[in-house]
Amino acid sequence: MISVIETVGRSALNSSRSFRQTATFTARILLRLFALRTYNSASRTVFINQFYFTAVQILPLFLIVAVIFGSLVNGMAFQAIKDLGLSDYLGRLLMGFVVTEVSPFVTVLLIALRSSSAINAEIAVMKVNHELYTLESFGIDTLDYLFVPRILSGMLTMVFLSSLFALVVLAVGLLVSSVIFGTGVDAYLDTLLRSASVLDMILVLLKSATFGFFITLIPIGQGLNASEDLTSVPVAVLNGMVKVFLAIVIIEVLSSVVRFI
Amino acid sequence: MQQGLGEFIAAHRGRVGLVSLTAPLISNLSVWGNIALVPQYHQNKPEREARAETLGLLGRFGMEQVAERRNAGLTAEERFCTMLLRAAMVANAVLVLDRPFSILTTVRAGHSLADALRKVDDLIAETHIFDYSWETERYGGLDVAAD
Amino acid sequence: MSQRIEFKVGLFITITTVLIMASIGYVFYQKGIFARVHTYTLSSKTGETLAEGMPVVYGGFTIGRVSSLELDEHGTVLIRFKIPERYNRVVRADSTFILEKPLIGSPRIVVTTVNLTGPPLSPAAVPEITVSSDINEIIKRAQPIVDKADRIMGSVAQITENLADPQGEMRRILRDAQKVTSRLSKQESLLEMAVGDPHSVRAIHETLGKLRDIATRADTLLVAAETLTGRTGEQIYGQDGVLPLVRAILHDLQGKLAKLNVALDNINRISGDVAGSTRDLQVLRSELDAVIIAVGDLVAEVDRKIPFKDKPEIKLP
Repeated sequence: MISVIETVGRSALNSSRSFRQTATFTARILLRLFALRTYNSASRTVFINQFYFTAVQILPLFLIVAVIFGSLVNGMAFQAIKDLGLSDYLGRLLMGFVVTEVSPFVTVLLIALRSSSAINAEIAVMKVNHELYTLESFGIDTLDYLFVPRILSGMLTMVFLSSLFALVVLAVGLLVSSVIFGTGVDAYLDTLLRSASVLDMILVLLKSATFGFFITLIPIGQGLNASEDLTSVPVAVLNGMVKVFLAIVIIEVLSSVVRFI
Repeated sequence: MQQGLGEFIAAHRGRVGLVSLTAPLISNLSVWGNIALVPQYHQNKPEREARAETLGLLGRFGMEQVAERRNAGLTAEERFCTMLLRAAMVANAVLVLDRPFSILTTVRAGHSLADALRKVDDLIAETHIFDYSWETERYGGLDVAAD
Repeated sequence: MSQRIEFKVGLFITITTVLIMASIGYVFYQKGIFARVHTYTLSSKTGETLAEGMPVVYGGFTIGRVSSLELDEHGTVLIRFKIPERYNRVVRADSTFILEKPLIGSPRIVVTTVNLTGPPLSPAAVPEITVSSDINEIIKRAQPIVDKADRIMGSVAQITENLADPQGEMRRILRDAQKVTSRLSKQESLLEMAVGDPHSVRAIHETLGKLRDIATRADTLLVAAETLTGRTGEQIYGQDGVLPLVRAILHDLQGKLAKLNVALDNINRISGDVAGSTRDLQVLRSELDAVIIAVGDLVAEVDRKIPFKDKPEIKLP
């Protein structure tokens, strides 16, 4: 009985320690994000490389996924809308669900699977290889050089790619709706505009940026938790990815709470 | 020796250009990227300018062709020269060589080391070599802090 | 390699930024975010159900939103709302502003403008907002109308009973009318007929009086419905609302009763034309049937729109 209580206590303490560490790390990163001295030629290079690997390199695959997904979702949803005689809800479905919910969610899953895991492994390997000590010995702040550019890149990638995803899905929606409903461009745009809310658009961009922040911050933090043992790398990646998934769910829930309450 | 090295580095913080196995090259950067990192970070030197400067320095060792290679693709000598050049990029550098023969595993005598140091002499303020006492003979006439 | 990456990243950021900005800009432009905005003020005795961000609607289109609510020193609620330039033409000096609380959905301010070419509403003017009744109040107002309709139904039911009952008044009237026609065929005079059966003549007069009473009640009901129509909103009084339907049926009823009156008058006058009197009696019968059907429809429609079954009483939500 006592051991059970001890286990519960240990687990609670670990969770609270982990949460505190993440909160502290978040605060430090946020402070550096807004500090001008963080941005120098070296961190710019890191940012450009990271952005290239996260956003540009994935682009062909991403666009294909967006087109396939857009065709599927639009096709199914539009057909259901037509069958139920709810064509008035077309705009609301596209703007209120596809653009504001589905686009950031699919994008964040894709980026987390591809780049968060890579960042997590990269930082863990750098830790194991003593490369973080190299940076320290040359007076290079890891926050400025390694972390902030990656996090900034993650945030911008999420904003750009989820917007692009939404635009592609809406463009596919035009094709699908013209086939199913025989809707013209003007009528389609008018339907979208009637359901478009400026506040929703701002919230989606903020949500995407928040996703981007945490799906890079958490892997970095977990990568730093690796020991000097090579076998700690997969453990760090595993822990990091689980926490990234939890963060995605929490952000999704919180954004829904903000939107609907 | 390790304690003495640690104290020396702490005393010269900000000026130390460390050449040591404990401070390896950054594996996701090319040779020129590793060398240019210091001026890019500390002097905010634009990437293109830093790259051109680095390529010039690599030319001193006849290593321009390895500029785009990464750590894993380098020979021991190339790795040592890259680390030496990186250390030399620190402003008013106090060059600290920590057991250089542990990096230069294919070099037997110290004259190669002395040659390399001569090539970057204009970039360095001071040079300090730390090694075990039984290795001092390999350095020839060079001053070695031995333990 | 590095320059190629820089170029690709730069190209991607530029194109995507242009696309995003163009999309957001298009939405902002279409929503009138960049347009010149006109601010107007309305007054209301109560701030109940008013809220910032509440839509201002004209002809079913949202043309603006309530930007702020304030309570002035006289205890009047000042409602400020903003209208973009392109919709400003619908807000005129003679526009009326109705706070509508629809059955489903959020409350809104409905702008109604009869003359779009009239002088514009001055930003300094503070017209008072009319509060349209909510469902409870509408039902309360509808109650007397439904009561009246019920009374009409009662009266019509009485007529129907009379028709169905072999000893009822109407059957007697019809029998008497037949007597009249048969007597007329024997070329008896009107005076002889009336004197011959005084009870029948009295019955016709009584029925006539009753039908006139129904017509009067229906008329009163119409007046009441029309009064309400002038004051209340689209939801209940619109094209598909309950009351216009009742109104239409009552119009029909009134028309039919009027015809019935004429028919009975014709019987009353009883000319020497036997064939004409017989036709009038047939008309009387068919018109009474039509009245019964029309009122039956009224009951069904009222029942469907505002459910009440056994008792003529509206269940309030």
